[in-house]
Amino acid sequence: MRVSGKLFHALGLAVVVVFTLFPFFWMVAASFKTQADILATPPVWFFTPTLQNYQEIFADSKVIGAIGNSLLIATATTALAVLLGAPAAFALARYEFRGKSDLWFWFISNRMTSPIVLALPVYLLAMQANLLDTHIVLILIYLTFNLPIVVWICTDQFKSIPADLEQAARLDGADQFTIFRKIYLPLAAPGIAVSAIFSFIFSWNELLYALVLTRRAAQTAPVVATSFMSGYELPWGKIMAAGTVIVLPVTIFALLVSRHMVRGLTMGATK
Amino acid sequence: MTFLRLDSIKKNFGDVSVIKGVTFSAAKGEFVVFVGPSGCGKSTLLRMIAGLEDVSEGQLRIDDKDVTYEEPAKREVSMVFQSYALYPHMSVFENMAFGLRMAKMPENEIRTRVAEAARILQLEPLLERKPRALSGGQRQRVAIGRSIVRHPKIFLFDEPLSNLDAELRSQMRVEIAKLHRSLGATMVYVTHDQVEAMTLADRIVVLRAGLVEQIGSPTELYDRPANTFVAGFIGSPKMNFINATVSAAGPGSLVLDHVTFVGGRLVVDTPSAGKVKVGDTVIVGLRPEHLEIGSSAPVLSLTLDFAENLGGSTQLYARGEGEPVIIVTPGRPALDAGDTVKAGISPKHIYLFDAAGIAL
Repeated sequence: MRVSGKLFHALGLAVVVVFTLFPFFWMVAASFKTQADILATPPVWFFTPTLQNYQEIFADSKVIGAIGNSLLIATATTALAVLLGAPAAFALARYEFRGKSDLWFWFISNRMTSPIVLALPVYLLAMQANLLDTHIVLILIYLTFNLPIVVWICTDQFKSIPADLEQAARLDGADQFTIFRKIYLPLAAPGIAVSAIFSFIFSWNELLYALVLTRRAAQTAPVVATSFMSGYELPWGKIMAAGTVIVLPVTIFALLVSRHMVRGLTMGATK
Repeated sequence: MTFLRLDSIKKNFGDVSVIKGVTFSAAKGEFVVFVGPSGCGKSTLLRMIAGLEDVSEGQLRIDDKDVTYEEPAKREVSMVFQSYALYPHMSVFENMAFGLRMAKMPENEIRTRVAEAARILQLEPLLERKPRALSGGQRQRVAIGRSIVRHPKIFLFDEPLSNLDAELRSQMRVEIAKLHRSLGATMVYVTHDQVEAMTLADRIVVLRAGLVEQIGSPTELYDRPANTFVAGFIGSPKMNFINATVSAAGPGSLVLDHVTFVGGRLVVDTPSAGKVKVGDTVIVGLRPEHLEIGSSAPVLSLTLDFAENLGGSTQLYARGEGEPVIIVTPGRPALDAGDTVKAGISPKHIYLFDAAGIAL
């Protein structure tokens, strides 16, 4: 019974792993194939890898620029979202004030509309503000999507920190800002890291607004990747190579911050 | 000299009144224990002294200074929490040093003070550890150490031992008592455990439902409880109560009727005989440890329900006519359930209360 249970577990896990990783594998493999190998039926499993696709996309100044734009926009958005969101979450978690629950609802309500509904109004607003095709407009838009998530996750994380700790710190003479910085931030690091990952990945992958609001100067990597698809040609190798290059930084980033997502960081505070 | 003074302190949470006017004062170096059942407001009162709860009404003075509306940190008090409330991401050293760093104390002074506290509490080998790598008793010591290093005017303890197992609890109790003696500091200690109250306190404040029932030394509360609540709360196992009827009231003595008494009546000599009249109910209080079985002049006639052998002594659960009576007796008397037990008591150990429970 126990052995067969474990077997089922392993089997189930294997299915999930294959299901999620196979497309990823296919993308990376295809990026090293020639167009002929990619389109071959039945699929070619063993092939001579080529760097042709990578050479082509890196030769394209558009791609380098777009990756730079993506990095800048995603990093700035994430930094701002955490910088603004964490203190807001602290206030929501620890203080009582009028309109708190309304504010809370308002934060979440931002996520209730489908982004495409707002695309046109946002476009018109950006145009009037002379912000089309700038980094700032994407950073601002992504912030409106990411802030609620950061606030949401961090509030929850801050609430889970025992109130006794704050009171002990108050008696020790710490002011609110010190309590936030020295007690809450380090203890909520796992939650903040998670919200940062979400924020970064969202900003990095976002396509719709990037497509609508940028032309050339502020174009991001996903936009450029899709731009390879012209009406007459589908250069799969280039698209897959671009896809791999786009996925790589997020993967590295996620692996880096996952170190901080250790469970049980608050263990030992109280009984 | 009064060091800590609470003057008609009240606390309301919305419409609910939790502390209904508490007045008391403590001298410098005194060990005061707030004791009472859960919900009596003892922790709230302590937190008001700390400044963690606002005072709704009344005045609070520490060292002759009005601190009713003062910030917690400026009151120069320190508190040991029930949950210890150690900073989990900091080492034992940093936990103790945190308050001193907040006070912008020079680094060498911080080191001296932490080292001193660590020596007193035997924490020296643990200074680099994180709280999660400590046992319950060690965490408790760190929490106390964090209080000591600040040299506060008053130490506050909020049920600090309730998370420890029985053995560690009695050990820490002794350590806190020693600490009080060696530091000579003023301490206010909250507990629901009357043993802690009796053993630690210079003075006990018994609270019930936001009001002070009685203030006095442990012996005073034990020997002269103001009412049945205090009488029942102080002492373990709790005092037995028998509701008797006054059948004759002479000068200096009362005749009390109840079927549980041997011969149906009990004659008590008391200077308060004039306070009651024939027909009144009088509550007779008898402590389990004062009742003697096999006495030559038995007072109670009981039926044994159950006997608990505690090794050196035996706890007898008996019944009179209805009400349960507990007797603690030395040794192991050869008694079985259903046996008739006659118990006597020295007249000076009989407590009398009026029908409302107020001591006569």
